[in-house]
Amino acid sequence: MGDSDVRKHTFLRQGSASKMPLREKIVQIYDVLFKGEDPSRDNPNFWEEFFLLKANVQYVEKELERLSADELLALKENINMLFYRCTLTLKEDYPIRIVNALQTLCALIRGIYRKNLSDHGFDVINILVGFDVAESQMQALIENLNNLIVGEQSVSLKNLCFKLLLILVTVTDNVSQNTILEYIMINSVFEAIIQILANPVSRQNHGYDAMLLLTILVNYRKYESVNPYIVKLSILDDELALTGLGYVISSAFKDFNRQFETKNEPGSGGLFSALTSMVGSMFVTENSDPEPVRASDAILLAMYEAVHLNRNFITVLTHNHTESTANPPVSPTKRTPLAVDATAQEVLPIDMSLESSSQPTNILVTFLRYCSIIMQDVKDEEKLGNGKLCMIILTCIGEDQYANSFLHDANMTFRVELYRAPMRHRKQTVDKNLPARPLACALLDLMVEFIMSHMMKNLPMDLYLRCLGIIHRILCYQKKCRVRLQYTWKQLWTALVSLLKYLLSNESSLLPKYNIFHLSNKVVRLFNLFITYGDTFLPSPSSYDELYYEIIRMHQVFDNLYSMALRQSTNGGEHKDSAANLTSNLVNIRAIVNHFTPKIDSWTAANSLSSLTSDQVLDVVRSNYDTLTLKLQDNLDQFERYSEKPAETAFFTQLVRSIISDVRHNIGLSNLQQQTVLQEFSSLS
Amino acid sequence: MAVNGTNVEVVVECINGEGEEMKDSVKDLDGVGQCRDTQAMQNSMQSNCNGEDVSLAENDSAYATDSMRDLDSRSQDLSSTLTEESAQTLNSSGDFSETDDATQMNGFVRRQDPSKMDLSLNLQKIHLNANGGAGNEQELSNERAVGKFTDQAPPPKQSWLLRLFESKLFDISMAITYLYKSKEQGVQSYIGNKFFSFSDEDFDFYLPQIFNMYIHMNDVADAIHPFIVARCRASVDFSLHAAWLLSAYTSNGVTPKGRKQSRAAKLRKMILSEELKPKLNKKENVNLPSPSSPVSSPTRKTHQRSRSDASAAITTNSNGPLTLVRCASSSKISIGDLTSGRAFSSGCTCFDNSASVLNDLAGRPQRECVCNSPRLQPELEFVTALMAIGKRLQGLPTREARTNRLFAELAMLNLNLPARIWLPFDCLPANHHIVRITPNAAVVLNSKDKAPYLIYVEVLDCENKHTSPLPTKLLENTLRYTRSEENLPDCHLSDTPPGRFSVYSKNDHDDDCWSQEDDVILQYPQYQKSISSDSMSQVSHDSSTSDKEPVYIAAGDIRRRLSEHLHEPSKSFKRDPDDPSAAALKEPFDEKKKRIQEASPYGHLPNWHLLSVIIKCGDDLRQELLAYQILKQLQTVWQQEHIPLWVYPFHIVVTSSDSGMIEPIINAVSLHQIKKHSQMSLLNYFFKEFGGATTEEFLTAQRNFVQSCAAYCLVCYLLQVKDRHNGNILLDSVGHIIHIDFGFILSNSPRNLGFESSHFKLTHEFVEVMGGLGSDMFEYFKILMLQGFIAARKHMDKVLSVVEIMQTAQLPCFKQGASTVRAMRERFHMNLTEEQLQLMVENMVESSMHSLTTKIYDGFQYLTNGIL
Repeated sequence: MGDSDVRKHTFLRQGSASKMPLREKIVQIYDVLFKGEDPSRDNPNFWEEFFLLKANVQYVEKELERLSADELLALKENINMLFYRCTLTLKEDYPIRIVNALQTLCALIRGIYRKNLSDHGFDVINILVGFDVAESQMQALIENLNNLIVGEQSVSLKNLCFKLLLILVTVTDNVSQNTILEYIMINSVFEAIIQILANPVSRQNHGYDAMLLLTILVNYRKYESVNPYIVKLSILDDELALTGLGYVISSAFKDFNRQFETKNEPGSGGLFSALTSMVGSMFVTENSDPEPVRASDAILLAMYEAVHLNRNFITVLTHNHTESTANPPVSPTKRTPLAVDATAQEVLPIDMSLESSSQPTNILVTFLRYCSIIMQDVKDEEKLGNGKLCMIILTCIGEDQYANSFLHDANMTFRVELYRAPMRHRKQTVDKNLPARPLACALLDLMVEFIMSHMMKNLPMDLYLRCLGIIHRILCYQKKCRVRLQYTWKQLWTALVSLLKYLLSNESSLLPKYNIFHLSNKVVRLFNLFITYGDTFLPSPSSYDELYYEIIRMHQVFDNLYSMALRQSTNGGEHKDSAANLTSNLVNIRAIVNHFTPKIDSWTAANSLSSLTSDQVLDVVRSNYDTLTLKLQDNLDQFERYSEKPAETAFFTQLVRSIISDVRHNIGLSNLQQQTVLQEFSSLS
Repeated sequence: MAVNGTNVEVVVECINGEGEEMKDSVKDLDGVGQCRDTQAMQNSMQSNCNGEDVSLAENDSAYATDSMRDLDSRSQDLSSTLTEESAQTLNSSGDFSETDDATQMNGFVRRQDPSKMDLSLNLQKIHLNANGGAGNEQELSNERAVGKFTDQAPPPKQSWLLRLFESKLFDISMAITYLYKSKEQGVQSYIGNKFFSFSDEDFDFYLPQIFNMYIHMNDVADAIHPFIVARCRASVDFSLHAAWLLSAYTSNGVTPKGRKQSRAAKLRKMILSEELKPKLNKKENVNLPSPSSPVSSPTRKTHQRSRSDASAAITTNSNGPLTLVRCASSSKISIGDLTSGRAFSSGCTCFDNSASVLNDLAGRPQRECVCNSPRLQPELEFVTALMAIGKRLQGLPTREARTNRLFAELAMLNLNLPARIWLPFDCLPANHHIVRITPNAAVVLNSKDKAPYLIYVEVLDCENKHTSPLPTKLLENTLRYTRSEENLPDCHLSDTPPGRFSVYSKNDHDDDCWSQEDDVILQYPQYQKSISSDSMSQVSHDSSTSDKEPVYIAAGDIRRRLSEHLHEPSKSFKRDPDDPSAAALKEPFDEKKKRIQEASPYGHLPNWHLLSVIIKCGDDLRQELLAYQILKQLQTVWQQEHIPLWVYPFHIVVTSSDSGMIEPIINAVSLHQIKKHSQMSLLNYFFKEFGGATTEEFLTAQRNFVQSCAAYCLVCYLLQVKDRHNGNILLDSVGHIIHIDFGFILSNSPRNLGFESSHFKLTHEFVEVMGGLGSDMFEYFKILMLQGFIAARKHMDKVLSVVEIMQTAQLPCFKQGASTVRAMRERFHMNLTEEQLQLMVENMVESSMHSLTTKIYDGFQYLTNGIL
């Protein structure tokens, strides 16, 4: 006690002969504060001087952790005062004080929330801010932060503001239980986020944080109350901001793709390339984390929310744009503390988003490539979640009229390099001479690729259903709008038949786990769509002939499918109804098979041939259409529209949870120290 | 009409100058038989002589001889005497009247014979009004007028010239010619002042000539400077064109380096620095808020929807410093910065506030802009941005890469629209604001190393582009936009103050914004028409599961519909990634317009229009501009003479010596593209497009073809247009051919290979379309050519003066210097009789048709550029 008395009287005196010369001055003051004393009582200038001292985040957090719950409660007054003073300081002009106040706030919030006080029956907000003043204090805090974010402040300072906000929104695992967010709901930071996204310069520096913050805020009590951020995001019509959000998302995808590419350099092609890739990978692994590239849930979720909530965002997706190669927005993988002065911003090239060197691209193109990488590996739970989110986003896009019209626009063609994993039966081919095609072709390719590459024991049933749903949506659009996409449909038919074949041959192992009839039904429905409405969207009469040819050729598969379904429906298994449904859905396919097979056989016999060429079969098909009658099935062109609630709520709640723990994990102490910030400011007058 | 009359006046003047010979001249006229009313004519001349001091000062005679020299070229006899000269002049002036020459002469002697004033009645009337009287009083006023413009008291001797200038027949063409030819300061300054009385439209036709003279002729520059400055002050458009033309015609390095800035450069700088604004009332100026003050400068995009205020509410928040910060940065930096979304905004809000919107609605005149923001800069930035795109496209190797790049660039531009910018053309509607550049309708045109491109610009017309309020921004896909708002809980949009939200839970609220009803927008009107024909596959039946009878369809029907659809005769070209322009240009403009209108968020507005423009970067369009002027002159001449020749002068805007814009010719594709895509001869293509040889449509198309072909043959001969491969000849949707690309005219030709020695391009295919040799239409073709030639010859001055003044502009077509104009003058063959001329036309047609060089050139183009 005596010691502390001495300190109390000397700690503000410069160069005083303290007994503990090794302790930082700020630490001494913290000690006083944490003892429950008010160091400012005798010193009117105390706080001004206090915030000039470099905040020691680590120490504050450690001290707070040390305290017991009761001790903490006893310190409420001081903590509230500190919070109040910090908030007040944010209004000041002097950046050093603001930085210290921000860091102190970060430390306080993290330190106190980490204590996990919920079982003590008092609220964290009370300890941190004080119930009586919480509303006005939080309002002031948010207002000040807003001003700092949109003001002409240094990049580092704004960065810190975002850090503080991100800390605030991630203090609890379940975002909906984070009561302090009520204040951020009342005092909106939405406009500041939007302004950051709209400005190309600030977007480069803070776009990722802004996007993250927005995504988390949108997910606050999403399903139980009206979240103003959802409302605001869904009516957002600021094209610049939407485009900005698109840039941030697409460059994050791009980063991911690029990293993946460097990790998966094709090793084939001689000793030299193997050697160079080895040498190259040595350097790569040194620099970056050795684990495989991690997909970022947060970006996917951000894209999902934007696509799902805001309809104007779809138009942003379709914008062609040229990615800036010079200054990609800061993404989490290569974050370095920025120490760019505000004045330096003007030096940055104004027209940075249109570098002449880079090829123009489109968010959808990047996203499709990203999906192809994500989808090739869905073995573990996390990757499965990523793949599912990709599928959900594609479903939303596939349902959208405008997006579809863009996907099918023959004027807007792109080369999309889809990633195709090397498999036993095929080598990894890098087709550099892809023709530029409408994006719908690439989307269909992606779906075909998915179907072909995931026929495994642990069947990703959910993804398969979504995949078929996406194809169905696209076909419905084509039928409705009579778009004749120049696509080689045969590869889709082959893929679908292969899937059926796989289901049939693994019936015994799959049947206990999955309703394979439901899945088969979806496949057959697609075939029915082609058979009955093919005239509205197939590119040529010969493609319709080819469809019949494929069905006749693979008639064994359909026959077996029918008998399996018949068996299930009659012996009253678990999936009786689905099986019965399947039998009736197969009626047209069976009609085709039954109609043409005898015709072909008799033709073969008549011409005394042992086997027919495909042309000969097609001839027979062409000459026998007229005697075939098909049954028109209902609702072939109807689909249930995607709806997040209630089907997907559990998935998204879990996803947000993992994102939040990710974010919390990533806001490291080192980032908060921001040595550079202080250096930067100390060099200023 | 006016020009002809003037020539007569010139003659009168000459006659006066020569005194004695006057009577001879009249006699001569009589002898030629062109003028029956000789006596009247003579009287008129005499009366003129009496009214004035006959003696002519040296100055005047200089002009007189000048004008004689000018007229000289038209004389049929090269060794022309004054008398023949006047005869010729009178002859040509007489020709213009439809009925007979006498009428014209009657018109001429109107002062003597009031009963025959019919033709020039109007002119006369204006004349009288302008001068407040007739006869002698008129001359008095003339002299007074001169006194105003020259320092010394006007010598009475000038008045003959003055009479000419004062005459109603003195038109802009003559004014320009005199300005160019005269070395006399008084005359120049008189004309400089005279410009104020011409209509802006007439004057603006000669802008290239005016600014070329301004650059190269100091004395002329002195004379016209006040007029130009006044026009610049008054008109933003004029300022823009002035700035562009000045930079285009000075860039050849004419001005010696090291010396102080040339006069033209100074003028240009003055215009660009916006010194030349309309003068404002001093008093008014004082009260103005400065542009940097928070009151007047916009804190956010002013064209935002009011609805979106909720989302853009940061500035309306109570926090003051925030607003200020935004202000300071936005208006200064953002102009020209495409990423800002306000690249074309001058920061002026004078016309977008509620008061002026109200004015606009009420039809009241708008007040002036008072915020002192730049007038020209938005438009200049727009043009700069377009040119920058062209430059960037040039770096890309494939046409496909260029196309993709172009789409991306235009999407960027669109972020900054709508704005107070417009196409700097004489297009309809003249007053408009650009609201959107249809991004995926743009086309990269075929060119090897340059990258010209065509864009479709959506505009909203308005009362006055400078003062009408700007249209508000609409996002793509407005239908969905409104729906997403409706789906939201209403309480959030109305009464909550911006930036704050009341939070309450509403558990059963479904915040999923997608709903089934959205599907109604899927019902595209254009697809509904087909329902009746094959309703089977369109309508989905909601039956089966239970009681209803199942519906059966025949597989054969499906197959049949599919093949029927695909065998529908299609007039469109197939899409070809290497030649994207072919398919795009083949689509009829009206159809394209409709298609774009349906997709555009602005399409539903009644004042929506679609315009198009070709942006050329890296190409010198000054020659194209000259060609445009000549074509325009010829068109006017032929119209005046009622010769059904058809040319299409397309507008050119020169923005610098190597960039500019071209008005695209809608509904036209090049012969090359036709051959490539249709793989048939031109005649068969005509049959395919217009129907069989006896259908009315085909005959009309054939007539159009002949009329345009004859016109362009003449143009090609007179201008020596070279590089006539099939890529440079277009065919429009009604059969007209249109020549484009006047990069090689007069004295230069591609690489100077001298390949195309024929007079013009007339291939066998062309003749075939006309019906072959000896057919009626082919004869008609030759007759048209002859008539057109005669008419052009008669008005040679008009055409030649346009060319002559531009000699100093260092265009490649004047490579051979002064002989260029002389050679062109010779090509008018003033000395030939009509019979001789007819023979010449016959020969030219004959030799062109059999020209080996045309074939060689086409072959050469095929080998080098793949042009069929």
